[in-house]
Amino acid sequence: MQARKRVVMGCARSAGVAMQNLRATGWSLPDDVEWVEMPCASAIAELHMMRAFESGAENVLVLSCHHGACRSLEGDERLARRVTAVQALLTEIGIAPSALVHQRMAPNMASDLRTWIASLGAPQPCLAHEQDAGEA
Amino acid sequence: MIVAERKPLPEIIESIAGVKKLLVVGCNTCVAVCLAGGEREVALLSSALRIAANKDGRELDILECCIERQCEQEYNREVAAEVADVEVVLSMACGVGVQTMAQQFPNAIIYPALNTTFMGQPDELGSWSERCLGCGNCVLAQFGGICPITRCAKNLLNGPCGGSADGRCEVDPEHLECAWQLIYDRLKAIGQLDRLMEITPAKDWSPSRHGGPRQIVREDVQA
Repeated sequence: MQARKRVVMGCARSAGVAMQNLRATGWSLPDDVEWVEMPCASAIAELHMMRAFESGAENVLVLSCHHGACRSLEGDERLARRVTAVQALLTEIGIAPSALVHQRMAPNMASDLRTWIASLGAPQPCLAHEQDAGEA
Repeated sequence: MIVAERKPLPEIIESIAGVKKLLVVGCNTCVAVCLAGGEREVALLSSALRIAANKDGRELDILECCIERQCEQEYNREVAAEVADVEVVLSMACGVGVQTMAQQFPNAIIYPALNTTFMGQPDELGSWSERCLGCGNCVLAQFGGICPITRCAKNLLNGPCGGSADGRCEVDPEHLECAWQLIYDRLKAIGQLDRLMEITPAKDWSPSRHGGPRQIVREDVQA
């Protein structure tokens, strides 16, 4: 059976700093989580998210700065639109759109980041499918 | 330019059912500009097809490429080896490109991945509008550069109709401007309102599609 895989991608200026802070406390990423640091959330293209799923990730978390806090002005908005597009594509494939999650954060939100990573993919994907179908 | 959009993914997946080796080939001209069939879209569709195949436990090997113009055979020759190496070619070109590929590679199975929609212009990022029906006898000079055949929902050559209100068309007031309001404004701006005093006779559609597929032959440039 293939091991579970999750991918977290985020902006170096917010998620990247929070990740460094978490690591400084001795915390380490779960073995099944791959962290990809990007210079800005606007650099996270639809293809990056699709490639993550293509590489076997069951769940992908993408992280941007808060609205209005992006150093490149509108990175979070661009990412939000791309996430919507990829979620639509996932739906067409038959994958629950909830497999891709977008969160906005500040550099001092290390605790939230740890919580999001811990809860990424829970409940199990098959239950998430049923839940999404029920909500639809 | 020719504007197109991707077919629904389930339709594409159904068209390649049972295929184990596939070539997804894009076109770097019109459909790349309208973000439907360029390099980026080839990569995205290929990725989506791989994820779908993996999810269903199907084996699927996808080759990806993008050529300059699929509607010209000299560019398509660049991918002849790849076409010969796969079971099916999924073309992300317009209908012209798909047919050029099918004509050029008579033994290859070529399927379209796009729905070719219209000839139009980009309004803003992510939005395109139809501007020309290719009627074969351009009347733009008469109407201030605004085509009533394409932009009037009723194709009226003597407008406006009674369904024009506040510059919007009754067919879809939210999205459609009244072409005849645009024509009036434009003719007024260029001092040619007197053109509206002329009654335009019924259009001769013989240069359009009524004689079947059209062809242009230029003997002066033929080899």
